[in-house]
Amino acid sequence: MPTLREVQRAVARGIFSADGDEALAHIAEDAIAAAERFAIHRNNAAVTLIEALRLVYPVVDKVVGGEFFEGAARAFIARHPPRTACLNDYGAEFAGFLATFPPAAALAYLPDVARLEWAVHGSLNAPDDAALEPAGLAMLSESARGRVRFVPHPAVRLLTVRCPADAIWRAVRDGDDAALAAIALNVAPISLLVERRREGIAMRRLTPGEAHVTALLFSGAALSDVASQHDGATLVSLIAEHLAYGRFAGFTNASSE
Amino acid sequence: MSAFVPTGRVPEQIPARAGIGLRFPHHQAVIANRPRVAWFEVHSENYLGGGAPLRDLETIRRDYLLSLHGIGLSLGSVDGLDAVHLERVAALAARIEPGLVSEHLTWSVSDGDYLGDLLPLPLTEEALDVVCDNVDRFQEALRRRILVENPSSYLRYRHSTIAESEFLLAVVRRTGCGILCDISNIFVSAANHGWAARAYLDALRQAEVMEFHLAGHSVRPLSDGAALRIDDHGSPVDPAVWALFGEAVERFGARPTLIEWDSNIPPLETLIAEADRASAVLQQPQTIMADADVA
Repeated sequence: MPTLREVQRAVARGIFSADGDEALAHIAEDAIAAAERFAIHRNNAAVTLIEALRLVYPVVDKVVGGEFFEGAARAFIARHPPRTACLNDYGAEFAGFLATFPPAAALAYLPDVARLEWAVHGSLNAPDDAALEPAGLAMLSESARGRVRFVPHPAVRLLTVRCPADAIWRAVRDGDDAALAAIALNVAPISLLVERRREGIAMRRLTPGEAHVTALLFSGAALSDVASQHDGATLVSLIAEHLAYGRFAGFTNASSE
Repeated sequence: MSAFVPTGRVPEQIPARAGIGLRFPHHQAVIANRPRVAWFEVHSENYLGGGAPLRDLETIRRDYLLSLHGIGLSLGSVDGLDAVHLERVAALAARIEPGLVSEHLTWSVSDGDYLGDLLPLPLTEEALDVVCDNVDRFQEALRRRILVENPSSYLRYRHSTIAESEFLLAVVRRTGCGILCDISNIFVSAANHGWAARAYLDALRQAEVMEFHLAGHSVRPLSDGAALRIDDHGSPVDPAVWALFGEAVERFGARPTLIEWDSNIPPLETLIAEADRASAVLQQPQTIMADADVA
């Protein structure tokens, strides 16, 4: 008698690959062939996982069309099966996969659109942590303020794309074909800040300087270190903006490192 | 920040009336209109993150009793339960204070890969030990009794030695869990394997059935004129399943009963009408049983 582990491994291989022979050997056959019975589960699994990816990547789906998306999703699932039953967390590697997926080679902007969608998805599903109140900073002495290291809010994402993925995202979401056709794809890299606001997802383009400061702040660099690298006025106004939009969840200011 | 204030430490009891499986497309309508529905059941896995889904669920919880129905814990995995997943489900249960918590007599994880479907188990003593260990761990983590649902199945394993109803009863005996009796799954599996649906119901009489599920299914024709019934939750409940439900209510009494509809999700009014029909059967099971013949 095969062990449960042997059966589960054989079935799992049969679900994710075209080769189900090993699984079929364990399945009883009667008037209905084992392969036809097993095909129900293969199909259920494929539909569930493809639809889960479609929910995370609706703009990629619209850009390439349903059939192309399904083919890409099937290839992705075979290479990157979900490692969690929480399908909200599934699909992080899809952008990287698209970059190496030969049928998508002509669509150089597609991986960046997918990266942006993953950021949007992550922002939408991030915990509702409270935003840092600016008053907590005002009470600090100047030296204590220099030691401040911010903690970014879990619903904020920062990414750099090599095409105007934000413009593509907006035009596709709004079904604005004229706007989509007018987008120039060859531009300098763009840094985007993605966040969740009451009215929905917001995206803001950052200048290279703003992006550098923001990346430092989000990575927990001490405020005095950031200040030594950047113009004070820009830093102050940028921090004020980040605070106003609740982009920090808190800060630490331990006195020794 | 969460504004959810727990109403009490003891989980409130879900009434023996019909509720509805709540999916994302109806969140806003439920929040805005507070429709007349006895209770809602949700898939736990849809709320393990944060953001809008969980916020909506907490809002809905202020007005309704909820049941948490898991689809990803994989009670049948030989590897045991995923500790992180279990912890997240336990945290959700602590936050939502559901009236019922349930999972399936299936598996869907192997070596950490999630297969995206509820797969049937080989019905063997080894699998029984595995399921019982996993149910024990689930109940310990949540510090409460859980319900285990009979699956819809399309295949059997050559080396199975135990009838599915006996397997389920053994899990109940050894772990103290309750049964979520999915009437549609009994009907679908009976048709797919040539079992007798009534005999399955009769067998379950030895244990405590604490909830019923009802859903629509479809018929998939196969190459040689045969067909498999597919539990796709995408249509109204079949007349023969309504009749079987009437028989189940006669045997087990009125229990919380859920209308599940997961694909081609209809307007809320359609779901409420199906739930009303189920509530009527819970009160007078005899009326429906004459409608159709059950194998």
